[in-house]
Amino acid sequence: MKTVSFNRHYVSGGVSLLSENIAKLYGKAVLMSKNPESFLACILYSIYAINLRSFWQPLTMEKFNRGAFMDNIKKLTAFLFIAFLLFPASYETVHSEISDQAKICLTCHANRGLTKTLENKEILSLFIDKDLFSQSVHKNIDCNGCHTGYMAAHVAKKKTIKSKKEYAQKASQVCSTCHPDDQLNKIPLHATLMKQGTCVECHGSHYIKSMEEWKKGLTETQYCFTCHEKAITKRLENGEILSLRVNRSAFKNSIHGNLPCSSCHPEFSKTSHPIRSFKSKNAYTAQATKACSTCHPDDQLKKSPIHGSLMAKASCVECHGSHTVRGIKVAKATADETEYCLSCHRGSLSMTMANGERLSVYVDGASLKNSAHGSLLCTACHTEFSKSQHPMRRFESIRAYKLERAKLCSKCHPDAYTQYEQSIHYTLFKAGNKNAPHCTDCHGSAHSVARTKTDKTLGLTSCNKCHAEWNSSYEASIHYSARLRGVKDAPVCSSCHNAHDIQSTKMSTQIKEGCFKCHKDMVKVHNQWLKNPPITLPTFVELHFEAVSCAACHSPGAQRVISLNMFDCKTGKPLTEEKVAQYLGTDTAGLMGKIDKNSNDVIDASELWGLFSDLISKGVWVTFSGEMDVSSSAEAHQLGAKTEATRNCETCHHPDSEYFKAVAVVMSTGDGDTTALPAESSSLQSVYSILPARKFYAIGGTNINLFDLLFYLALIGGLAVPIGHIAARIIFSPIRSLRKMGKGGKKK
Amino acid sequence: MKRIYLHPLPIRIWHWVNVLGFIILILTGANIRGIVSIFSLEWAVKIHSWLGFILLANYCIWLFYYILTLKIKIYIPPLHHPVDFAKKAITQAKFYGYGIFVGDDNPHHPSPEHKFNPMQQVSYLMIMALLIPVQIITGLFLWDPKLFSFIVNPVGVQIFDAIHVFLWIFFSAFMIVHFYLATLGHTTWAHIIAMFKGYEEEEEHGHGH
Repeated sequence: MKTVSFNRHYVSGGVSLLSENIAKLYGKAVLMSKNPESFLACILYSIYAINLRSFWQPLTMEKFNRGAFMDNIKKLTAFLFIAFLLFPASYETVHSEISDQAKICLTCHANRGLTKTLENKEILSLFIDKDLFSQSVHKNIDCNGCHTGYMAAHVAKKKTIKSKKEYAQKASQVCSTCHPDDQLNKIPLHATLMKQGTCVECHGSHYIKSMEEWKKGLTETQYCFTCHEKAITKRLENGEILSLRVNRSAFKNSIHGNLPCSSCHPEFSKTSHPIRSFKSKNAYTAQATKACSTCHPDDQLKKSPIHGSLMAKASCVECHGSHTVRGIKVAKATADETEYCLSCHRGSLSMTMANGERLSVYVDGASLKNSAHGSLLCTACHTEFSKSQHPMRRFESIRAYKLERAKLCSKCHPDAYTQYEQSIHYTLFKAGNKNAPHCTDCHGSAHSVARTKTDKTLGLTSCNKCHAEWNSSYEASIHYSARLRGVKDAPVCSSCHNAHDIQSTKMSTQIKEGCFKCHKDMVKVHNQWLKNPPITLPTFVELHFEAVSCAACHSPGAQRVISLNMFDCKTGKPLTEEKVAQYLGTDTAGLMGKIDKNSNDVIDASELWGLFSDLISKGVWVTFSGEMDVSSSAEAHQLGAKTEATRNCETCHHPDSEYFKAVAVVMSTGDGDTTALPAESSSLQSVYSILPARKFYAIGGTNINLFDLLFYLALIGGLAVPIGHIAARIIFSPIRSLRKMGKGGKKK
Repeated sequence: MKRIYLHPLPIRIWHWVNVLGFIILILTGANIRGIVSIFSLEWAVKIHSWLGFILLANYCIWLFYYILTLKIKIYIPPLHHPVDFAKKAITQAKFYGYGIFVGDDNPHHPSPEHKFNPMQQVSYLMIMALLIPVQIITGLFLWDPKLFSFIVNPVGVQIFDAIHVFLWIFFSAFMIVHFYLATLGHTTWAHIIAMFKGYEEEEEHGHGH
């Protein structure tokens, strides 16, 4: 700048010193934009430059001598003050010494929320940390320098990126523009790695440091972590993906935290990084654990019989983990049993089943303490184990293990377990139904078993895990509204269905027992109005209770259905669909077709008789036991208030009752459910149904129509006798009079 | 005219209670089945049940009376003379089917020891010893099937209902015929009046045996 040199030329003494210093500081500020001191100088210089003309003129010696100097000092101070005020705002702009183009890009890309959704739905963050970038060795390079072609595409908005991986690969290709491959290949360690990964996977992208910082002063462990801290992976021969990432802090806290990586990975060092290939994770584990014996010789490890037997079955890392190995300091003599077991089992241990499933054998000490089992010793349940014994067991699958384990519960809870063995859940469980619950499925893991005595919530939440579809109808019931009101003992699922001996409610009156648990003396209560004079007997109520479900009367607005449940009289048990199909020589799918001979999709009276006589001829003493219930399980749950119940006899007991319109022939499916085949409502009133449904009698609903016809015929017949007889007497009356006159009315 | 004391007071009471009971039971029965609707179902059942028990008691009165007085034998046909009995029965049938028209005398002349003609004897024995007990028992079963479940369950309540309904049909027809036959005395109302007064009037010359 011409003015500067001019100024320099004329100014001398203190003033010249000042201007020189400013120039120096400016130069420094350009180099070290981060330094606030030089930054301030930069501002000062700017002010100086802007006011140069007015500044140097007054500062000439004559003017100085004329006593104008003090005015200028005032001026300068004012400028300094303004500069001081401006400093925080201007600092930011001058501080990042990055290219102008980068600044433009960063106006958007400094936004943390900026992302792009890739074609494979991955989310790629487009955020660039300005501070970190400005420390990078690439800070002076224009964005376009690496992102070639992106700018243009950016404007056209047509850049598509398949995946992060693909993006990383493409982005890495640009590196060779400045870092040619042959140069990089000269470094042996680097050459091997280059074949495996892309540049950015190890070096990063926007925050690349200089090579000096990259390597110098690094310990071996730190050196390895420069790459292995990142989420790098390796694809094994069988397609498994092996993570090569090591959590630095977890490793540091592990008992091996002070060992260099090469202690266990001897093939690797700062200068050597062979490329290896493994068939599978298991193969890799086997190879990797060989290193353990370097420091922990087998004979030493086998001293403990427990450990010895475990070693035979599992590799070191399966129990101890790899980079997170923790010290196990067990004071065998003093540790109590639970502590002793937890010394291993509070770690991330797992066992492998024969089918390859892995079961965690980790136990959370804290939740164990808080659980209902908190005060028990481990051996209370795990009897085969002790401080001196640790048998190695092998199970086919997690399911097989669960079956075995369930028996543990029965040791202390024999009653609950015996009840459970009678439940539909157990039947299904034994049959191999994978969804059928066992003890822990409802109560939670054995090591965090909830206390159920005081809190009934479990009886709702655990059921809802599988039976959530009924929850909304339960929530519509008076039971739930009572629960909401905070009524003590307001029923949840288990209140009616029981907790352990849960039975199928289909084709049984068992669920009534659930109602009666809370609704005591129901026979007496109903007997007040449900009775047949002259003697009030509880049996009359019981009779109704047998044939009518509680919900049939107490679920307002429900649709009722008459179920003709097929029972085997010999065994007293429900007939299963499979058996019926088998007897009829068909399968369950073809059953309806076989029964419904006229194929109108509904069983009429003669078809019912056909089914009955077919089964009787096969030696099956079948009976169709009638029962009135609501048409769906949802309706069974939305029970209403007492006042909403049906109480009028004629509602049911009428030949045209709405309640008798829907009829179904019902068979058990064997797994607690039922199949209902629709039947004609008139079939109940047909002579055909007398024998099949001989045990089902409801005044009105099961009136046999033919009998009414017979009644009319009998009346006609009864009247015909006197009418005929009288007619004959009238016809014969002349003869009678004749004889009376002729023979004196006397015969013989 | 000869007056025979044919119907002792207990029997007359029993008979008329029965008449009333049967009529109302038949009607409430029809009501329960829904073919007439005189009462609501609830009341029809109540009346039907009450009367059922009344007639049960009534039947017991009849049974005790006839057994204790040993008069039960009037119901029992002389099975030791089967041929003779059969001949008499045919004669009686001929009378109702022909003789009565041409002005023959009734071959049977009742006395307290021989109250019933052979046809009456057979039908009343059937009714009193079989049909009414069966009707009462099936009625009880239907009144409270659960109370009698030990027998109702294995057989099937519908079977008992069918029997009860069949007998209801039978008794309905029987009542009509019975009433008509009761008008065939020497005057139309003779037998019926006798059933109130106890004395049957018979013309002196009417002795067959």
